[in-house]
Amino acid sequence: MSLPNEENALDSQLSSHFFWDILDSIIVDVASECHRIARLGLDRNLEEEEEELKLSAQARARVADSSNNNEVNGKYVVDIFGQTHPPVASEIFECMNCGRAIAAGRFAPHLEKCMGKGRKARTKVTRSSTAQSRHLRGNHAPTNSPYSNSAGANRISNGHSGVSGEEHSNGTYEP
Amino acid sequence: MKPKTSVNRPPTPDVLENPPEREPTLQELLNIKLIESGEKERLMELLRERLVECGWKDDMKALCRAFVKKQGRNNVTVDELVHVITPKGRASIPDSVKAELLQRIRTFLMSAAV
Repeated sequence: MSLPNEENALDSQLSSHFFWDILDSIIVDVASECHRIARLGLDRNLEEEEEELKLSAQARARVADSSNNNEVNGKYVVDIFGQTHPPVASEIFECMNCGRAIAAGRFAPHLEKCMGKGRKARTKVTRSSTAQSRHLRGNHAPTNSPYSNSAGANRISNGHSGVSGEEHSNGTYEP
Repeated sequence: MKPKTSVNRPPTPDVLENPPEREPTLQELLNIKLIESGEKERLMELLRERLVECGWKDDMKALCRAFVKKQGRNNVTVDELVHVITPKGRASIPDSVKAELLQRIRTFLMSAAV
């Protein structure tokens, strides 16, 4: 039966051995990671730091030159990739709410009116029942118009539920 | 002439050249237990986490970067980096981290050696 002191010494020797063993593995991992970064040139701070500073200063100068208020004066702006953007985005899509063809740049204001979230559009009760049933049959967020319950829709979209409590978002409709 | 390779891999020892020892040492047995139970991996993760938290890893990476800058980035091997980091790495472990790990290892050894 060994003395407790001896056991402790053996214990700590073993523990130390394993500790250094684990540490060595970790050191190799870190070295490997740094090696990879070095070889792949992922470390941009190496000698390229001064060059990067120059390039970013150039980019900043270019951005400061061309104005960003392109909506006002219609000037084309060049971004950091050298692409130009027309002042009003001109791609045309179909509004998912009303089905009309709308230009991308006019989409937000159109949605305001179309979905009734704008100030004035909200109180307008101009929706006909045909417009309502077309909304409810398609896959889109329902409006918060008071007609949403009374329309004879057999399927409610699984978008966001509107203000009305009876709407279900799992695609079933309970009268 | 062989080009400088990134990783210096020693040749695989042949079984005939190196007959397995008949009596595995206590250390080897415990090592096997550590690995098989998954505890070694857990300890490594714990140590890694602590070393990141205390900034040790960043210090080591800085050493590596300095070395790479000096040597030229295409002229370094993993071995060289290991040699660069090891002395400082071993010496700069915070005492608290070391104590924590040693405690966990000791606990495991006590439970494993029974």
